[in-house]
Amino acid sequence: MRVSSTALALVWCAAILAAAMPVWGQRTSKPGLLAGANAASVIQSVLSAPTLVDYEGTKIVTAVRGEQAETVTILESYKRFGKLRLEFLSPESTSGRLIVDDGASSWHYEPSLHVVIRGPSFVTTSTRTDAEAILKRYDARVLGSEQVIGRQTLVLELLPKTRRLTRRLWVDQATGVVLRTEERSQSGELLFSSFFSRISYSLNLPSALFRFHLPAGAKIFTFYLSGDPIQDLQELSRQAKFAVKAPGTLGGVYTFQSGTIARHGALMAVSLLYSDGVNIVSLYETPSSKMAFPALGTSLVMRSGRGRWLDLGYFRVVIWESGGISFAILGTLPAESLVAMAEELNAVKP
Amino acid sequence: MGHARLERQLSAYIDNELTADDTQQVRAHLETCVGCREELQRLEHVKRLLGSLPERAPVPQVFEELRQQIISQAPRESGSVLEAISNAFRRPALAFAAAAIVVLLIAFPLVKGRIDRLRAAEVGPDVFVREHALSAVADPFADRAYVGLLVTDANLALIGEPRSRGGSLR
Repeated sequence: MRVSSTALALVWCAAILAAAMPVWGQRTSKPGLLAGANAASVIQSVLSAPTLVDYEGTKIVTAVRGEQAETVTILESYKRFGKLRLEFLSPESTSGRLIVDDGASSWHYEPSLHVVIRGPSFVTTSTRTDAEAILKRYDARVLGSEQVIGRQTLVLELLPKTRRLTRRLWVDQATGVVLRTEERSQSGELLFSSFFSRISYSLNLPSALFRFHLPAGAKIFTFYLSGDPIQDLQELSRQAKFAVKAPGTLGGVYTFQSGTIARHGALMAVSLLYSDGVNIVSLYETPSSKMAFPALGTSLVMRSGRGRWLDLGYFRVVIWESGGISFAILGTLPAESLVAMAEELNAVKP
Repeated sequence: MGHARLERQLSAYIDNELTADDTQQVRAHLETCVGCREELQRLEHVKRLLGSLPERAPVPQVFEELRQQIISQAPRESGSVLEAISNAFRRPALAFAAAAIVVLLIAFPLVKGRIDRLRAAEVGPDVFVREHALSAVADPFADRAYVGLLVTDANLALIGEPRSRGGSLR
């Protein structure tokens, strides 16, 4: 009887382990096990989500700026196709801020100043990018599945060929909505994270939620983007009245998309857009005779001369002067990647 | 209206050149002022006498003489303009004002250019961040809520009311 009770205990242990194995295996599945087609289908579900589902939830975003981190809590509501409402809850400096975007224009209301600023929409439901195009530029793999706020998600890792920035997305298996995001530098340092602490899906959120009502007596400003995209560099230089430096690629993978002449008050700058198929890097050029060297951020030593470094949390900016032109390069890339691009650009002849 | 002023208007009254109100006032005054009534009678008499005179055509050489006078005065007029300018510069206040205007006209573009250059440096980074954020939404994995925060922060900076950013030490 003694032997048989031990054997029974062993059998029970074996049964429990056997039952637990699939769950354990699923939660800690090794990279590559669900790669390939699965990664493509997860990416496709993320791309399709904005056309399939309405939701409203509370999002907590943390962006790291140098030695500081700022956490922002936002009530985010989304309605198909491309309607967005953001109500900022904290910190105090953003509390009460409202953004209503109807897919064509956005309205920003700042209650502490009682001003409304109208501008272009920043919501896109464009399906120009497809999963295959992303997979050509990125190594994507499904790391496994995890529960996020009680919902089953697939953890997708997107690793650009340059390995400069790693993104992990926790994608709701049922809806394709990204419930959690993390961006890390090449050295593994966390640069950005966001997650929903609560979300509820809806088949149809009321349209009235995405209609902006102008508060009585509010002062209105209108800031739209200036200029149409120009692909021809000669035309861009002609309009800018100086020789624009625009290499075909930056950092090996970011290819030139288009340029515009950006204007705001006394400022005139050439804006050049580069993309690796997903991620965007912007380059701005303006003659030093037309713009003094900005005295913000921290000093930066570059081979070409003086530079400034500005960390906004999600975006990082490098500003420098070379050959009578002030340059600024912006992106979500880590500092060293942007500085390398700046040095690469300095070597290019206009 | 006083007596002296009404008396001066009698000639215009006879010629029906006054407004209805003024005519009424002159009539009311004439009823009470003997002196003005006598003056009115004198003026009417003179007008009748002048009206009875025959019209005479001017002699032809009058026009020729007038033309000669006009021609002879023309260069003198342009000379007088130059003379007026020259006289103006002899007055220190006028000369100073003119010099100040010239200096302002030359200095204004230079000062404005300098102010514009400084202003461009002030707004430049915010414009760049805003435009980049609006372009970055092409990235299908970009966090729109945080992009919204960056766009609206840049909006506030561009209207001269930048947000005082918090943040805790890591």
